[in-house]
Amino acid sequence: MRPLIDRLSSDFLPLFLGGMAVNFEIAVIAIAVGLALGLLLALARLAGGVMAGAAASAIGLMRAAPTFVVMFFLLNAVPRDATLFGEPFALSGIMTVALSLVPYSAAYIADSGVEALRQYRGGSLPGALLFLPNVTRAFFVLVMSSSAGAAIGVTEGITIILRQAEQLPTLGDRLVLFAIGIVLFGIPLQAGFAVMGFIQRRFGRIVARRTEVMKAADIKIE
Amino acid sequence: MTRFCRSAAACVLAIVASLAFSPLQAQQDKSPDAALARLLQAARATLPGACAQPAADRLIGILCAGRIRIGVRDYYPLFSTRVGEAREGYEVDVARAIGRQLGVAVEFDRVNAATRIPLLAEDRIDLVIATMGHNTQRDGQARFIRPHYYQSETTVIGPRALAVSGWQDIPGRTVCVTVGNGSNAELVARDARLMLFDEAGVLPERLKDETCTLAAQDDSFFAESFTDPAFAERYAQKFGFAQVPWGMAVARDGSAQLARALDLISQIFHRDGVFLELGRAHRIGTGFLEQQQAVWQRPECNTEAGAANDVCVLPPFNAELMATPFAGSVATFEAWFESWTGIELSLPMLATAPAWSMFKDGVANSLVLIVGALLATLGFALLFGAAQGSRSALLRWPVRLLTVTLQSSPIVLTLVIAAAIARALFPFSDAVALGASIAALGLTNGSNAGQAIAEAMLTLRAERTRPAGRLDLFTRALSRSATQIVAFLVNAAKGTPIASFIGAPELLSALTDITSFSSGRATTYTLLLIFYTAVVMIVVWLCGRLRLLLERRQAVPS
Repeated sequence: MRPLIDRLSSDFLPLFLGGMAVNFEIAVIAIAVGLALGLLLALARLAGGVMAGAAASAIGLMRAAPTFVVMFFLLNAVPRDATLFGEPFALSGIMTVALSLVPYSAAYIADSGVEALRQYRGGSLPGALLFLPNVTRAFFVLVMSSSAGAAIGVTEGITIILRQAEQLPTLGDRLVLFAIGIVLFGIPLQAGFAVMGFIQRRFGRIVARRTEVMKAADIKIE
Repeated sequence: MTRFCRSAAACVLAIVASLAFSPLQAQQDKSPDAALARLLQAARATLPGACAQPAADRLIGILCAGRIRIGVRDYYPLFSTRVGEAREGYEVDVARAIGRQLGVAVEFDRVNAATRIPLLAEDRIDLVIATMGHNTQRDGQARFIRPHYYQSETTVIGPRALAVSGWQDIPGRTVCVTVGNGSNAELVARDARLMLFDEAGVLPERLKDETCTLAAQDDSFFAESFTDPAFAERYAQKFGFAQVPWGMAVARDGSAQLARALDLISQIFHRDGVFLELGRAHRIGTGFLEQQQAVWQRPECNTEAGAANDVCVLPPFNAELMATPFAGSVATFEAWFESWTGIELSLPMLATAPAWSMFKDGVANSLVLIVGALLATLGFALLFGAAQGSRSALLRWPVRLLTVTLQSSPIVLTLVIAAAIARALFPFSDAVALGASIAALGLTNGSNAGQAIAEAMLTLRAERTRPAGRLDLFTRALSRSATQIVAFLVNAAKGTPIASFIGAPELLSALTDITSFSSGRATTYTLLLIFYTAVVMIVVWLCGRLRLLLERRQAVPS
């Protein structure tokens, strides 16, 4: 029996890494658009009045919109000959997936942004800076979610794995290949979470040090 | 001698007369060739007087003008292509052969799928030969020439190495198709998952770049791809289905004689192998043409009445779907909505019985899936939470490892793994796909929620509170992690549409199937988005109530 490694096509790894790059590309687009939209919504929510109500409703709707359905909506409901400001607006597969993730990322960033702005206005810079690890967490969630692109033919990491799995004859081989995929996806994800944890611990220490300094100052004043 | 000569002459006359009125002569008179000759002779006899008559048959008009206007396609490889003024292909040569048979010149006009029937009705062309399938719906729009000049079928194409040989290998597989293809309904009925494309032209490329493992399309379309040795070496026709006869067609009104002449010409072309030779010359599939030649050489078909003989001609493809009892009201509502708002609304899921049935099943399955995913998430959360919060390392570490694994696996991959294992254990069915989806969504979200419960238990232990027992600690941990549990419950509900990826027959899957053989994609997917967003909002509200309940328990001092 030939080992699995022999049965994998020779270009599997470069193709998979290329596919993963697409996952990251989608996540970058989604987080960038989400940041722009989410921060605007966060500002609107804190502005009060009608704007705050409208922003809260928009955030609620975006939070509830399932990514996979939004993706199929964009794919099928946007006409191929659609224009935006007079320019052609035909969405590529990558853009379709990225935009389908925007409701999630914008809603998440709006929520985190509101909290960060409240912390900042309350005088807690470290509390406000927790916004950064939150954005990092959202980014990695987006990387994982971008695998939904496999359903519409976007050549991302999971697509490459599934194509390779089609060529394998036994369930055992396919499960091993899937495990390889999980490890390859898991490495950047767990590394990202580790970095995020490190940043949070650093913030924790900064907050603790500041608190101690402030306490010491209070004691001196007393 | 003279008497002998008179007798001989009488004998010869008698023989000639007997031959003339013998059964053999009567058989020849009823041949399609003789019938065609008589028809054309009779039509020509009315010229030029009939040329000025506005109600004259189009055959008269063609003979008067000395040309026939034939609508053909500009680009349908092997069948009809145009480079500059030069046209070539099987259909182009059929058109030329018809012109020769009628003794008139041929004027080609460009048509496409949308214009070929209207141009006939507007008298801008006399005949259309443009890859047009003869189905029951089109029978009311044009007069189709019988026998048919070609027959296509939907063919499933895939890599040679892929073990697919028939319908038994299709359930659960993704097949790339074009929107609106009538044969999509058959694929849907056989549990295939469809990936939709607007144009057939992209399918060979999508096969090559492996976006599609299987593609289904008219065999006439793939005929050109298989003339490419590289394509033919890599891909093969797995199997075919949904045979559709192709028909030449003339206008329904004022074309009776023309249609009759063309019926007879078509018979003769099949019998004499004219169609077959042209097919071979253009390297199209000739199985149908060979079979038809044998049919039209049979005595019972090789007659002037052969084209009306059900034993000889093929029936049109029955493409009509049974309408729902309320289809009329739906159409009225669509028209009223468009007149009121200016927005074209199309509700294909309410128009035909198969679509309505799929829609109802899709809604029911979606609700089952959502409830199942919520219960599974909650169940796995409790299990994972208890195990990870356990003081036993033997229990804690394997579950932690499983949690990290599930967190590292994109949900699509988790679903595929669950489906692969489920299919290895059970034969493929809708219930198996739903079950696998529920398990995958429950595990993914439940493991995360379980981790939150375990972390809450750790914090409670660190606070050195003294709960009455393990159960009390666990209950308080549930209260403390309520926000996280609710977040993952909502996430599970939001994630249910992705189950369509492994063939779970929920609403997204059902509507994709419906729109593959009907119109109204924009409306359909808008309604789908509204449905799922509304359902998730209800889940969010219900989960909010659950969180309040859990948090209230935490607020109550133990």
